[in-house]
Amino acid sequence: MSGEFAVVGTRIAQPDGPAKATGEAVFAGDVRLPGMLIGKVLRSPYANALVRSIDISGAAALPGVVCVLTPDDVTDWNTFDRGMKDMPLIAGGYRIPPEEAVVNRHPRHFGDAVAAVAAVSEHVAEQALALLAVEYEQLPFVLDPEEAIKPGAPQVSPEAPGNIGKHLTYPFPSGDVEQALAEADVVVEGSFRTPKQEHCTQETAASVAYVDSAGRLNVYSQCQLAHLARRELAHIFKMPVHKVKVLTPFIGGSFGQRGSLCAEPLAAALALTSRRPVRLVFSREDHFTSLESRTGFKRVTVKMGFKRDGTLTAIKTDMLGFLGAYMACGPMASVIGMSLVMGLYRCDNRAGEADMVMTNTPPSGAMRGFGNEVMSFAVEQLMDEAAERLGMDPVELRLMNAKHQGDVAPFGLNLESTYLEDCLRLGGRAFGWRPKAEITSAAVEKGVAETKGGPRVRRGVGMCAMNHCSGAAPLYLEHSNAIVKFNEDGSVNLTVHPAPVGSHIWGALSQICAEELGIRAEDVNIVTGDTDVTLFEYGSDASRSTYAIGGATKRAAQQAKEQLLAFAAEKLDAQVEDLEIRDGVVYVAQAPDRSCPVGDLCYDAIYSFGGHATNFAGKQSFEPEWNSPIYGAYFAEVEVDTLTGRVKVPRFVTAMDCGTAINPMSVEGQIEGGLQQGLGYALTENYAIDPQTGVVQTTNYDSYKVPGSMDMPESTVLIVDEPDPKGPFGAKGVGEPGMVGIAPAIANAIYDAVGVRMREVPITPEAILAALADQDRE
Amino acid sequence: MKVFAGFDINGQTHELGIEPHQLLIEVLRDHLGLTGTKHSCGVGNCGACTVLVDGVPVLACMTLALAVRGKRILTIEGLAGGPELHPLQRAFVDLGAIQCGYCTPGMILTAKALLDRNPAPTAAEVREALAGNICRCTGYVKIVEAVLAAAEKMRGREVAP
Amino acid sequence: MYRLLTPFDYFEPQSVREAVELLARFGHRARVIAGGTDLVISMKKRQLTPECLIALAGLEELRFIEFDPVAGLRLGPLCTHAEIARSPLVREHFGMLATACNEVGTPQVRNMGTIGGNLCKAGPSQDTPPPLVALEAKLRLLGPQGERVVPLDQFCTGPFCTVLSSDELVVEILIPPLPPGGAGCYKWFTKVTVTDETLAGAGVVVVRGPGDVCADVRIGLGSVAPMAIRARKAEALLRGNRPAPGLVWEAAERAAQEAEPRSRAAYRRHLVKVLVNEAITELWPLTADLPGGLG
Repeated sequence: MSGEFAVVGTRIAQPDGPAKATGEAVFAGDVRLPGMLIGKVLRSPYANALVRSIDISGAAALPGVVCVLTPDDVTDWNTFDRGMKDMPLIAGGYRIPPEEAVVNRHPRHFGDAVAAVAAVSEHVAEQALALLAVEYEQLPFVLDPEEAIKPGAPQVSPEAPGNIGKHLTYPFPSGDVEQALAEADVVVEGSFRTPKQEHCTQETAASVAYVDSAGRLNVYSQCQLAHLARRELAHIFKMPVHKVKVLTPFIGGSFGQRGSLCAEPLAAALALTSRRPVRLVFSREDHFTSLESRTGFKRVTVKMGFKRDGTLTAIKTDMLGFLGAYMACGPMASVIGMSLVMGLYRCDNRAGEADMVMTNTPPSGAMRGFGNEVMSFAVEQLMDEAAERLGMDPVELRLMNAKHQGDVAPFGLNLESTYLEDCLRLGGRAFGWRPKAEITSAAVEKGVAETKGGPRVRRGVGMCAMNHCSGAAPLYLEHSNAIVKFNEDGSVNLTVHPAPVGSHIWGALSQICAEELGIRAEDVNIVTGDTDVTLFEYGSDASRSTYAIGGATKRAAQQAKEQLLAFAAEKLDAQVEDLEIRDGVVYVAQAPDRSCPVGDLCYDAIYSFGGHATNFAGKQSFEPEWNSPIYGAYFAEVEVDTLTGRVKVPRFVTAMDCGTAINPMSVEGQIEGGLQQGLGYALTENYAIDPQTGVVQTTNYDSYKVPGSMDMPESTVLIVDEPDPKGPFGAKGVGEPGMVGIAPAIANAIYDAVGVRMREVPITPEAILAALADQDRE
Repeated sequence: MKVFAGFDINGQTHELGIEPHQLLIEVLRDHLGLTGTKHSCGVGNCGACTVLVDGVPVLACMTLALAVRGKRILTIEGLAGGPELHPLQRAFVDLGAIQCGYCTPGMILTAKALLDRNPAPTAAEVREALAGNICRCTGYVKIVEAVLAAAEKMRGREVAP
Repeated sequence: MYRLLTPFDYFEPQSVREAVELLARFGHRARVIAGGTDLVISMKKRQLTPECLIALAGLEELRFIEFDPVAGLRLGPLCTHAEIARSPLVREHFGMLATACNEVGTPQVRNMGTIGGNLCKAGPSQDTPPPLVALEAKLRLLGPQGERVVPLDQFCTGPFCTVLSSDELVVEILIPPLPPGGAGCYKWFTKVTVTDETLAGAGVVVVRGPGDVCADVRIGLGSVAPMAIRARKAEALLRGNRPAPGLVWEAAERAAQEAEPRSRAAYRRHLVKVLVNEAITELWPLTADLPGGLG
């Protein structure tokens, strides 16, 4: 499809690539300012406690310590909701206590901040931290969501009676689920469990803040939502919004974690108190114990009903999730998961609910997939089970129930483009998917020692389907802006504020802008990273940047182009309708000899003495009303060692209907990266909290294992390049989906290999052996 | 107690007053402003702080600065040696092997040491050499491709289209 | 954990003699630093805050790999894991040690960490002790009173504890040659990912003797007890017998019983059984082709 475009669809190198390859790129922790202090945070060692007193005398007396912040010092400021999600939502806007203080007198989880210091060097700051003497009163705590909702359980927050932080229902229910289940020919059901997952951004959370001579608070922030961060910081420190300026440096990974405030409030508080620039870089341990990680679910129960011919007639879900000690973004994971997965297939009877429970653990929040991976893990395994019960091929069962154009999409909108079928067929062909019987007979032949009843290592194959969204309209605020300004040499400055988290967004936006204008992508300069300069931007989350900011960019470019063409029409004595721009030159259709370089037109318009001087520029606000769902199919091959329980994934194929791939290389990169995170989620990443104490046990990469280069499968990515009618040049969002289908495809492949259904991630070797032992007993 | 010591960093000699307990990463980032060397895990698992000492990849966050005085230290800032990118840097940029870019310096330097030792590695050898460098963005796919492409280029042939 | 270290005095002795003198002078207040990969982390965690560090890295006399058919392999304690893993001498004569060295940490950690440092740390989950215990390696220690030679399985006395006194240095690791008809291998299983710590490791040496029986077998187990141990009861089951599959499995089960894992205990024991069985099953046919292997 990309053949019709000049720039869109090409595999351009990223504009920020050389800076990152040479070490020149400045990340938050690299910012150095004159007189800058280094901040450090003291964190609670208890799951629930009250700070009785903090003796700061030792730290304050240490030469080089400039300020110490204790809960007594922050009472003039507002408490805050780090998730910043108080805008209207279909599921009900919320901003629910307990809110956090910059440092807390009542630390509600292990790792909650209780004090902070700023000193002239990191060495002094570390020493000062060790000298703070805190007297705690330990309080009863509750860690397990099932315990937390029992009567008499310790209350995490008085504002969440019974520890129910939020009860949510599926926003688009239909039909009568109970009756449909009762009438179904085949009912499959299962209860699943999914863990917290830490984002493991390679750069840890960091912020630099200073107060300038005009009294403005300047904050280098990694926040994906820079303008919301500005608003929230203004709220915390009781300043007018215009007194806060947020600067966005390069961000060393985010994956949803920087959708919330992380190091910013503390860095700003230390800067406001010390009146010096302060750099605060979180340690890896700070990350694991204080930042939001993927919202975990203790129990996800799903029931699905089918007619004998395979028609899906009912889905019912019931979720019990854990939010941790603060509400943050966690509750939405349930609604998003329900909405996306229940919107994947045609099904007349749908209902779901979720209890999101508060516990004395680090907070839950958004991570790539944001609930979709949870529900997919459950529903896509049950689809597999249903296929077996119905005697159908798993691919065929999905194909026959897949939604088509015109059906109602997730989030209640009409589906305008869906190519799930193409994904399933294309991916299946590349993978070598065959009807079940063939696969099983052809599989299995490897292994050193034979165990009873077959080879030691068994191969299996599994697949699943998925849909995700391009932005979260109409659930979330969707508002993007772009300014496109022509320079006198025909290049343009594109002013936008996506988060440069590594998603190749600068490149994608420059391609969209260049395509619209008929110029080269390298002639688009990205102007960004300063809330003083950029127009309001909701930001980069929910796979929305290419789709929504790209939409604003295309519209702003179009507006600037109209001005340019009107000027050119006069110069070239032609009608605007007859003009086109190619390779930076305006041509008159059917008269190739009448042309003018864009640069000349821009120069003439700017350096004009005729009273008509103008600088062509477009500025557009864009509020997508759609979220153009993206579709995907995933195929996994696994080898299960029946003696040790270890699962290896030698091969993985993903096929994605992502609309027009603005840059296929970037799309592949998102899907390949999603595979790493999905593989970790499925098999290796086990966020552990001591059930006796609430102490987080996995606080660094030595205990929390993310897949390395040798753990990865051979990966094949296929792009179904069909334009979406709504996205810019047909693009949809592709940031999150790569991760979503990995665990269910692997779980289905494990079943194929050894006949056990794994209902909990990460799937550990011990769990496999236990399941095999159960199977033997049956 | 400060010790004055000579460091050979990216081909330049620096005479610096160093405390024995200072780590190489502090000297690079805080004394010399070479912030291309990144800090990430601090426990030797992620490779973000990898630099080459006498051509061998080591972790700057676990190396005492004084232990490497007089040795040849190469950081990402010294790799290109001029305005043109090193073939590894070029390949990483052109083949989409860089996303957030935080692991990139350590990744590229580790790959350089591999190619110096083994100019024609297999994909499996590249994966093995990079096993101590965590990337959370790319799934390593394009990184391995870039290292293989750079190897081919450095061996004097054209990169396959 | 902190990111930086607290101050200490720093010494770079120019000879082993000088290093030992410094150790004698500072005793428990000093720590020896070789590659630093373990020590620096302990210092960042403030588990250790030594007053002074004695850096050995400059002592070239402690960096050697030599082989003699009679005496065996002599390793300098400052050899890094990477150097040992890549050494043609080690790979030819003691492939199991090269294999184990290649499993330590990540490539960078292998470039930095030394075998001497690794052994002196005496952590329970290390890769080099199981093969070295099976190979009956000895350590030569030097202190103010002179030298002594200690078998590796008597060197460790518990997790992170050794017989090394505070004024002694390991100056050599000695590995006797394999007897005729002997072969060895290292088998391991990592905790989670490929480069992860070892959850269970087995270094096994099998010697085929006259009558096609197992003349000798030595099973070193790592990560499944407070320190690397020999599974001597399992060895006794096999010694003098033909290692038929049933017997090997029985010996592997015995080895699993000899393990004393603390966490994930049942699973680690199970892995010991799998690894020992795999090692012996794999080694036995190999010994048939070795010189002196048939009696």
